[in-house]
Amino acid sequence: MTDDIQYWIKVAQYTGASVSMGLGAIGAAIGEGHTAATANMAISRNPERGGEIFKNMLVGQAVAESAAIFSLVIAMVLLFSGEPLMKPITIWAFLGAGLCMGFGAIGSGIGAGYPGASACEGMARQPEAGRRLTTAMLIGSAVSQTTSIYALVIALILIFFDFSNMPFAPTWAALLGAGLSTGIAAFGPAIGEGLVAAACCEGIARNPSSATEVTNIMLLGQAVTETTGIYGLLVSFILLFKSFVPTDALAPAFALLSAGICMGLGAIGPGIGEGFTAKSTVSWIARNSSSRAELVRTMLVGQAVSESTGIYSFVIALILIFVI
Amino acid sequence: MDELGKIHQLIVPLFGHNMTFNIGAIFMSWIVMIGLLIFGFLAARKRGIIPRPLQIVGELLVSQLFGIAEDALDEELSKKYAPMICALFMFLVLSNWIGIIPHMHEPTKDLNTPLSLGLMGFVIAHYAGIRAKGFKAYISGYFEPMFFMMPLNVIGELAKVVSISFRLFGNIMGGSIIIMVVSYLTYSLALPPLLNLFFGLFVGTIQAFVFTMLTVVYISVQVK
Repeated sequence: MTDDIQYWIKVAQYTGASVSMGLGAIGAAIGEGHTAATANMAISRNPERGGEIFKNMLVGQAVAESAAIFSLVIAMVLLFSGEPLMKPITIWAFLGAGLCMGFGAIGSGIGAGYPGASACEGMARQPEAGRRLTTAMLIGSAVSQTTSIYALVIALILIFFDFSNMPFAPTWAALLGAGLSTGIAAFGPAIGEGLVAAACCEGIARNPSSATEVTNIMLLGQAVTETTGIYGLLVSFILLFKSFVPTDALAPAFALLSAGICMGLGAIGPGIGEGFTAKSTVSWIARNSSSRAELVRTMLVGQAVSESTGIYSFVIALILIFVI
Repeated sequence: MDELGKIHQLIVPLFGHNMTFNIGAIFMSWIVMIGLLIFGFLAARKRGIIPRPLQIVGELLVSQLFGIAEDALDEELSKKYAPMICALFMFLVLSNWIGIIPHMHEPTKDLNTPLSLGLMGFVIAHYAGIRAKGFKAYISGYFEPMFFMMPLNVIGELAKVVSISFRLFGNIMGGSIIIMVVSYLTYSLALPPLLNLFFGLFVGTIQAFVFTMLTVVYISVQVK
């Protein structure tokens, strides 16, 4: 029996590591490619600023790379965290960790590429704004990584926290659900926040004197965009640390797994949608800062409406966990 | 490969609790602090109208970081917080760079260092917010845009600490893991130094800057 568990733990380690690194490699590569493509365009428009744009491209790509580095950390930790005495629950914890980090890294890789691209383009159009553009790009892409950092945190908790004193069934489903909830939920908000940050860089290039104002609106828009990612994190924490009644029936276990999947998938749409709203608001405030109050109001109301579907998913996830 | 995740710990029993010290991280951060003190001493010694090389480096660092603080905060506040921001940036840069010296480890590779710096930034930002707006306006900020958003706003604030510290930790940890794995697999002379250059110097500088910038931004968000 013990050999059997060791065998399955190995399987979970290898599968988790490959899922984490394989999925995690998608986003960062797309984002970096987008940045480099736009940098090419920018350099061909304004070759005198080539060196500056090239440097900015490298910095932007290095930030977008972080998502893949997080995946690598989780994959390596999974591969080399073999302890002699492990319980069956570890299998599911490892699988959950790999899925969580793998899905979680896709969005932030793509999202962090947008501000880099937009900053390169801005440098070609408005060389005076160089330093401000780099700063805004760094802040924006760092914030768009937040949800993938939530995924990193949940994955690390899944790997290092000792769940063996909890009943095996239904905790296995809860752990898998916790990983999927934060992991899939990280996808939408990260892309949305990346769009907002790109609009901020574009706005600063258009109107460098409004840099501080535009950056503040960007942060506000990103904070609201991130809300559904935070719902995903909340559902994960509930699934990780709520104590469940031991039962061998499959239905309650699948309710917990479905709660994670429900919240994860439900957070994608609102994240991207709210990103569109905030993107347009930021870019129009840079053009017309006198109507700032109306624009911000419209943005907040629009985001609230677009978030309603995420709240439906959140409610269904809570019902699945607590009622059923 | 066994080195991965190995931490030297000193466990001191105190009133029935075990206090755990990660010796490596503490030792390395003391080395970084001593290095910064020496740099400060050498840069500020024999100041003159015609600056010597170290003085130029010091002046560049301070003036650039003061400029960044002034962009985000206003004049008066930036005078107050810019010294802290300079110190934070210099500490982080040297911490991230020190890993390229053999047998030295980045103190930021241990989660405790970024987490405590993140908590420091959190406390400073909220203190600055209360000072600037008053306690009542500070509290009512949590009930915007709707009163039922309060729990989410609180979680959002706490998540900032988590995100800022795990970003630094994950990047530095990931870099050191890649360097270790490649050195273990190849024994080559060319590849590991290049990776040290990329992850130690380049990514280390960028992440130190990102951490510093985000701390400034968190302060400015609280103040405004």
